Amino acid sequence: MNSVWSTGDDCGGGPPKLFSILGEDNNRQDPLTPSLFINVTNDLLAANYEMIEIVGEVASFKVNQGKWVFFDIKDDEASVSCFMTLYQMRMPIEDGMRVIVRGTPKITKWGKFSFTVNAVKPVGEGSIKKSFEILKKKLTDEGLFDPAKKRPLPKDLTKLGVISSTQAAGYADFIKILNARWGGIHVQVAHTQVQGMDAPSQIVRALKYFNEHGEVQAIAILRGGGSADDLSCFNDEELTRAIAASKIPIITGIGHEVDESLADLAADVRASTPSNAAEMLVPDRNDMKLGIGMMIDRIDTILFNRADAEKKSAKEKIVQATNAIYIQIRDAQAKVSNQLKVLVAMNPETVLKRGYAILNGDISPGSVVEITTIDKEIKAEVKEVNDRK
Amino acid sequence: MTENKSITQKIDELTKSTDWFYSDDFTLDEAVKKYKEAIALAKELQKDLSDLQNEVEVLAEDFQK
Repeated sequence: MNSVWSTGDDCGGGPPKLFSILGEDNNRQDPLTPSLFINVTNDLLAANYEMIEIVGEVASFKVNQGKWVFFDIKDDEASVSCFMTLYQMRMPIEDGMRVIVRGTPKITKWGKFSFTVNAVKPVGEGSIKKSFEILKKKLTDEGLFDPAKKRPLPKDLTKLGVISSTQAAGYADFIKILNARWGGIHVQVAHTQVQGMDAPSQIVRALKYFNEHGEVQAIAILRGGGSADDLSCFNDEELTRAIAASKIPIITGIGHEVDESLADLAADVRASTPSNAAEMLVPDRNDMKLGIGMMIDRIDTILFNRADAEKKSAKEKIVQATNAIYIQIRDAQAKVSNQLKVLVAMNPETVLKRGYAILNGDISPGSVVEITTIDKEIKAEVKEVNDRK
Repeated sequence: MTENKSITQKIDELTKSTDWFYSDDFTLDEAVKKYKEAIALAKELQKDLSDLQNEVEVLAEDFQK
């Protein structure tokens, strides 16, 4: 049995239609079995709705056996039954949340229509916030955001991994600031989507790539500013876990200062923007040049001061030596002066001047002695010699 | 020789050199030689910093699949 399908092009527009199931004679229409009908219908749905996204409000959310997820997605007038595995649900959802689901429509073997979801994410600020808080609490309780686990960024960065969209403004800002501030870094860029439902898986694959190759010292995950919807991919559970598990330190620069994502919380370092990430990763070469100039200024100053101090010290030593010599001379002069006074005092002439006379010769009666006065030389005979009383 | 040293290593060297001028090891005789070395190192660093360029390589790996 052959299936013959005609597409809308064959019919001049509109959706494709099943004309018939032809027999061997190409004329007879065989009735379909329920299984075949379901298979044919599912083929038709798959051909026309390969991947479709539906946005609406979650209702009747439940998880069976810890792995099968069932819920309805509805608006005011209609409701679609959805099915997915718990593994595929990377952001928490609950009744009342507005979400976007992506998947394929399908008729089950029991003939019921179901939308098989392979990705779901909250949309709208309220739902995103609610989902964020639920997952944040869960991962915090697991210790995923423990500050003690945070590692510092490498100081001497020469190999850096970047995960971003190369078309994104945030990426361009990052490279611009990085080049202006520093150089000598080999930057490996993993080009991925940074918004939308496919972004988390792509970023996870890029993280895996860098971790497996082990060539880079740090990884920067970058994305410029955007709406809560744009940034919600960074609240993905698998991505958050991959960041926390990375062997290589991770810095995030996602959105603006006020935007906080689970990826930020799991990262080792959070920068407020991609530009700020570049500032945190590398020093500024201009600051460093100024610092080098200041070091030389310091050397100039200290060298001048120390040379000046040595000069002053030498001068002081000369003054001290001069003083010491002067004192020695003065002391010597004083000593000589005193001795001179003694000598003068002991000079016989000085005694003669005071009226004394010097007597020389044998002092015995009858002998002649010589008597010297200040102005006379006298010879005299000794008449009598007596002891003094 | 400082050719094979990283900028960080050279900065550390210049810092040590600066500290020597403030230390008790300072002597005027040695200071002249040390001063010339510090000036040469500072000039080398200024040039290194100006010449530094990054190399950006977009990986061929397709992360969309």
